[in-house]
Amino acid sequence: MVTRASLFALIVAVAALAHAQPRPSFTVQPGGVVAATLPASVLQDPGVRRQLGSGLTTTFLVVARLRETDSLSGARVEIRYDLWDEVWLVRRIEFDRREDRQRIASRDALEKWWRAPLRLLSTSRERVSLQIDLSVLPFSAAEEEDARQWISKSGGVGTGGAGNAGFVEALIGTTISARPITTFRWNVALSLKEP
Amino acid sequence: MTRSAILVVLTIAAATLAFWAVLHQISSLWLDVALRPEVREALARSMEDQKKLRSLDPEKREEYRRRFDATRRLLNRIEVIRMNRAAMLRRFELTLLVAFALVAVLAAMSLSIRYRRARERERRLYLERVTTLQETARRHAHEIKGPLTAARLEAERIADAHIRQSVTEELDRLARFTREFSTFGGLGKPVLRRESLGQMIDEFCTTFAQAWPGLDVIPSVAREPGGVSRQASASQPRPRRSLADARDDIVCVDRDLFRQVLVNLCTNSAHANATRVTFAIVHGALDVTDDGAGVPESLRARIFDPYVTTGRGMGLGLAISRKVLLEHGGDLRLVESSAAGTTFRITFGEPTCS
Repeated sequence: MVTRASLFALIVAVAALAHAQPRPSFTVQPGGVVAATLPASVLQDPGVRRQLGSGLTTTFLVVARLRETDSLSGARVEIRYDLWDEVWLVRRIEFDRREDRQRIASRDALEKWWRAPLRLLSTSRERVSLQIDLSVLPFSAAEEEDARQWISKSGGVGTGGAGNAGFVEALIGTTISARPITTFRWNVALSLKEP
Repeated sequence: MTRSAILVVLTIAAATLAFWAVLHQISSLWLDVALRPEVREALARSMEDQKKLRSLDPEKREEYRRRFDATRRLLNRIEVIRMNRAAMLRRFELTLLVAFALVAVLAAMSLSIRYRRARERERRLYLERVTTLQETARRHAHEIKGPLTAARLEAERIADAHIRQSVTEELDRLARFTREFSTFGGLGKPVLRRESLGQMIDEFCTTFAQAWPGLDVIPSVAREPGGVSRQASASQPRPRRSLADARDDIVCVDRDLFRQVLVNLCTNSAHANATRVTFAIVHGALDVTDDGAGVPESLRARIFDPYVTTGRGMGLGLAISRKVLLEHGGDLRLVESSAAGTTFRITFGEPTCS
């Protein structure tokens, strides 16, 4: 006979499973470099999927915080669907500013590229405890600046006096910003010692 | 905070709220016009058309590409703005709202300063005018006193008793006027001390209970919203009441001059056939209300001018009283007057006696 307590435990377990986020997998590369393979489910998130098709540059900002020293490191991935050529223009900038740009023809190829390890940080420690934050931003800094300039001109830069323009600049400039459409957070402890 | 200050704050708040309501409609309107889905759909269709045209007319491929990119940039900008719509509106409305509130506060402050300056100017002019009249009255009284004494002595020598009585009565009347002139002219500067207003009124009502036949002078204890004091009706007994609960209302006054003001007001009430004068402390001011015949409407605007009288007296009592209170840093105002009675309001200056 199913007791009330076991039924409650079952419900909690199902709920926990439903809410469990797929985690990135981590690899340790030579030189104490920690790389993360971000879960494919991030790209399949409905909000992210919709944003990827918008023609704007979706930016995936990964920030890694080393708990032991409270130091920050990270990497950035930018994906834009080129509506003219119908290809994915992707860019990856890793913690050491190493950059990789590609034109990807299909969604499958994009997901394959996505699964490549992303180098996040380098450390000399044997064990690290990391907090990884992934923010999905709906557009790039360049697109943000372009929209800001455009609306500022509409607000009077071209026609009005300097005071008017300054007011609109100040008003709009600090308002338009890429707020994350979704965020993920993972905590992980890694051993970097070679077996 | 005074009632008028609360009223100003509430008015500014109401105006700001009304401004925000209108602003919200207008600001969301202009932004929504730019962000209408039809606009975005039209731009997206235009981009699709450019893509189709490149295969139909390959020679102009580059031109179509340029047009496509221009449209895409436009669509991207609109999309960025759409995603920031709520934040932009919030910031825009907040900025204008703060600007409006600031302007309203500045306007209110400016009006308040102008109002105070006008009051101060009116006070100064009034004091100057009354002081000049005081000096004139003092000189006239001084000049009349000598001949008046001589005339009295001469009158004693008139043989005909009837004529002597008639002349003596006229001389007595002249002496009364001279005394009033003398009092008016000899009014000193107030020496301010901190006094309990409630206690002073209680004492005044006790001391002057029988001063005016047929006139009750009573402190009115009740303080009702709006500053209207409850008064005993004619059919009710008129118990002596106390302003004991108001004894914390400390004011800076010259006790003797202030008493003179109250005497003047009660004398006027007696002249107006009042049966009762009540004193009520309302928000630090003193309302003096009688049930007399009231001040004729034609006199109300200049009731505090010297020599303005309803027929009895020289018309100096209210002028003296107002001058005394202005020199206290306060004022005397006619609040209302009708056939049912009259209310004067006495205000006081800062209670620091500086």
